Amino acid sequence: MASPTPPSPTGPFRLLGHRIPYVEGPLKVTGRAEYTDDLRRPGMLVGKLLRSPWPHARLLSIDTRRARAMPGVVTVLTGERYPTPFGVLPITHDETAIAVGKARYIGDILAAVAAVDELTAERALTAIEFHIEPLPEYADPRVGAEPVAEPIHAPGLRGSNVQKEVVQHFGDVDAAFAQAAFTARVRCRFAGVTHAFTEPLVTLAEATPDGRLTVYSATQVPHYLHRTLSEVLHLPMHRIRVVKPEVGGGFGGKSDPLPHEIACAALSLETGRPVKMLLDREEIFYTNHGRHPTENVVRIAMDRDGHLLAYDIEALLEGGAWSSFGTVTTYYNGVLAMGPYRVPNFRYRGRRVYTNRPPSGAMRAHGGTNIRYSIEVALDELAEHAQLDPFDLRSRNALPPCSTTINQFRITSTSFLRCLDAARRASEWDTKFRCLPYGRGVGLGCGFYISGSNSPIHFTPVMPQSTVHLKIDMDGGITVHSMQADIGQGSNTLLAAIVAEVLGADLDRVHVQRVDSDVSPIDIGSYSSRVTFMMGNAARRAAEEIRARLVNAAAELLRRPPSELRVGHERIEVADQPQVAVSFLDALHKAMENSGALTASGSFSTQKLGGDFKGARAGTAPAYSFAAYVAQVRVDSETGMVTVEKVWAAFDCGRALNRLAVEGQIEGAIHMGLGQLLSETMNYRASRLMNPALLDYKILAPDQMPEVEVLLVGEDDPEGPFGAKEAGEGPLVATLPAVANAIYDAVGVRCRELPVTPDRLERLVRARRAEGYAWKEDR
Amino acid sequence: MHLDPFELHQPATVDEALCIYRDHAGDADYLAGGTDLLPNYKMHLNLRRHLIALGGIPELGGIALGRLGSMTRLADLEGSGPVAGAYPGVAEAVAEVATPLVRASGTVGGNLMLETRCFFFNQSRFWRASLGYCLKAEGAVCHVVPQKEKCYATFSGDLAPALAVLDAEVEVATDRGRTRIPLIDLYDLRGDGIRRHTLPPSAIVVAVHLPPIARQRLGTYRKLRIRPAFDFPELGVAVAVRFEGSSVAELRVAVGGLETAPRRFDELTDPLAGQQLTEERIRELAGAITRSVRPVYNTFLPPDYRRRMTGVFVRRALVDLAPASSAAA
Repeated sequence: MASPTPPSPTGPFRLLGHRIPYVEGPLKVTGRAEYTDDLRRPGMLVGKLLRSPWPHARLLSIDTRRARAMPGVVTVLTGERYPTPFGVLPITHDETAIAVGKARYIGDILAAVAAVDELTAERALTAIEFHIEPLPEYADPRVGAEPVAEPIHAPGLRGSNVQKEVVQHFGDVDAAFAQAAFTARVRCRFAGVTHAFTEPLVTLAEATPDGRLTVYSATQVPHYLHRTLSEVLHLPMHRIRVVKPEVGGGFGGKSDPLPHEIACAALSLETGRPVKMLLDREEIFYTNHGRHPTENVVRIAMDRDGHLLAYDIEALLEGGAWSSFGTVTTYYNGVLAMGPYRVPNFRYRGRRVYTNRPPSGAMRAHGGTNIRYSIEVALDELAEHAQLDPFDLRSRNALPPCSTTINQFRITSTSFLRCLDAARRASEWDTKFRCLPYGRGVGLGCGFYISGSNSPIHFTPVMPQSTVHLKIDMDGGITVHSMQADIGQGSNTLLAAIVAEVLGADLDRVHVQRVDSDVSPIDIGSYSSRVTFMMGNAARRAAEEIRARLVNAAAELLRRPPSELRVGHERIEVADQPQVAVSFLDALHKAMENSGALTASGSFSTQKLGGDFKGARAGTAPAYSFAAYVAQVRVDSETGMVTVEKVWAAFDCGRALNRLAVEGQIEGAIHMGLGQLLSETMNYRASRLMNPALLDYKILAPDQMPEVEVLLVGEDDPEGPFGAKEAGEGPLVATLPAVANAIYDAVGVRCRELPVTPDRLERLVRARRAEGYAWKEDR
Repeated sequence: MHLDPFELHQPATVDEALCIYRDHAGDADYLAGGTDLLPNYKMHLNLRRHLIALGGIPELGGIALGRLGSMTRLADLEGSGPVAGAYPGVAEAVAEVATPLVRASGTVGGNLMLETRCFFFNQSRFWRASLGYCLKAEGAVCHVVPQKEKCYATFSGDLAPALAVLDAEVEVATDRGRTRIPLIDLYDLRGDGIRRHTLPPSAIVVAVHLPPIARQRLGTYRKLRIRPAFDFPELGVAVAVRFEGSSVAELRVAVGGLETAPRRFDELTDPLAGQQLTEERIRELAGAITRSVRPVYNTFLPPDYRRRMTGVFVRRALVDLAPASSAAA
């Protein structure tokens, strides 16, 4: 019967490696998926926040009596009620749910109101009175890096607003520069950008008379929210239940425990009633936690043969009012320069400075985007100086598999050379580079990103970074519990597919339960591109445990030793006699005879990686993704308008387990990267955000999106689940330099200030013409 | 953000609408498509307690050669091939307004009477309060050009320049009866950004009338903005020209998105009647228009750039429209 089937181009698996539509897709496209704002509870109040109109002020007194007396107002909270500081990193707890003593930016939370409806709550906000003392306003990180009169938090280095300084030196950078045949120095400035996720920030909290508190929230990391609620509200974790309904995008902006989540929970505790707090878009811009406005200087030394000798990097990061992930960001802006090339000498000085602006934090390709831009643009310059093709320069310096970087990153799998090769061929680079007419160009940018941070943020208690529970009862449905957070990136689908793959079951047998801390085992959430790698391994282990029990049961039914059996589609069969088999359900029912429903737990932790020096764990990961992108652009040299015509995106995510999701991640990341490069900007005048709205914050329109050709060329990673690595953040970083280098190829100007708006590019082109030297038009 | 409560009036005739306005003078606004007014209300910009919806007045509808009812939806104009296509530049201009969703509600009259825009005005009440408000709403100082006399908010409609170069007229209903005035006279540059038009506050634009000669012109509308959807114009250039042989019979150029009102440059274009549109004349005209416009920094792109692009857009439009024999550039 069985005819030999040819090897599948998508790999050896029945589901994994194919294009798997999202399991929750039908609910989302019909509007039936349940997001936090869809939830209603009886007696629910509306929570609203009063925000600071001052960038920096001492709060001398607050009078809430008039607001409290208003009909329909149930309670008004100010900062001193729950003053315990918190923050996503245990080492930098500098936020409070509601301001205590000082307001630190326009938009800082001063008070919270719970009222019977929105209008009443908003009116109550206007009845709260403050006496304040204005304080000096610090908007420029260069000013704040020096001693200041009124530090925003406890004084940093030498009485400044510096929150974190990182200094690292490996090898001997000065000696390397002394012997270099070619050097490049690039100084770039990057405006802040923000996540602009579709679903607004929203929380519903319900304190109940049994002494428990349930918090539904649009969050990427339910576990950190759970911990923070416990710390700030002084309730043991077991009396708090955190539920994550569907989440409409996060991109890092829902990964910190956010003050409004805590304020909302506090209002519910105070009133004993359910309270919902839905932030409007302007408030979301103030909550920010987006990519740090950055200025960096990158110097690179290269020898006569095109081998890189050293990087020397300085970065100044504008942190805004809180620390957030900033200590990590400060490390990342140096150490994530380390791949995908071998760099024998490395020096970095990074500083992050508090300002009186909305806090910066983690945003997709956190810490790796701006430094990658400067490196890849500098390499493009070096290639030109050395008369090397940009591809040749990069392939000559590629980190090999199974190697260690100078700062002791462990590199296992890398298909970077395959990425270079695929992008070069698919884009027909050799017929285009410096050959297209003036105004059109191609550029190369490469990428490197962590596939899951090795470091879990919290080290106590010691526990796995991911745990997955499975339960199968006699109905044959497989229920999966995990606190991994699907935020639209497809992790529920992947979780279901891994379980179905291992068990040979149809995908519709698997149901991934909504995250609920009462039943979901802890997973540390959706950030640092960790979910596929860590949750995937945990899910695989749990499913393999169930599979072993099904195989044993089938062995009993078939009277064969388990070693002769294998899992087929919806059945367990004899490996060399596949017509001899029992069905999935028969095996399941046999396995249940003595135990009832089958349950299993799988977990995953990374081994300790990295060196022993201070900060050695920053940037360590069990695997890394690699990328090589070619962009093709058309530049109107007279108006400065850029049209990105096409991007060839060669990406190494190991084995792509859901090609549909991976392609979606790559396309979405390119859209986001193009936005940062071309038009998105947190446009400040001093401390004031001028564009806290989606009309004036210029996310690319759909018709500006280029054609994207995704080239998935990764080979299996030895430790990733089924050979997989991340594809969520790494796909962003190569986008920006690829386009910038293409702009250079088109019109001969280097873009040092992002976003490259048309007025900036037009000025650069005019300046180049005024200097009187031509670009390709004279060739 | 929420909409404060208001009373909605739904008159069936223009006279009824005028009457309701008179009853609530100073505390009423006309509501056409609502795509600009209601977002502004959510930001608590110059709130009125009475909204007079114009959608139920049959006379304001209708789309035909020569006449566009003011309540014509932008999407309907866009989809009316024979009408929009008959008037050069109009189809381009209407297709460039905002997004398909906005065009499904937004109207011709609403786009003509669009509220002027400014970084310091189109913000939430919270935002504006934190800066002490501005001249155009609740405040005493302009933050664009700090002084207390003049508001610099920018006129941001796309249709006005495109219709102005076709010598369109508007039919207006006021308490004193009906009038017809040149469309460009709706706007007065000597005024300031606080008032968006020259009509009395109670006036209703009934229809736009287009002269038959407009159909004999060549024309185009070019819009500068960051994104090809969503955005208001940072600059809009409309050109219409009729040639007799290789010479100019009439030439009209208008710009929007730069100043408090759209502007037509008859004093610069009239002398070109009877002339050939040579490359040199095109450059001179583009240069003269560039020199005369005065954008300020209250939109996304800086004013010096928007000014330079005015010349580029005017030049490109004219080069594209000029007969191949006269302009080579």
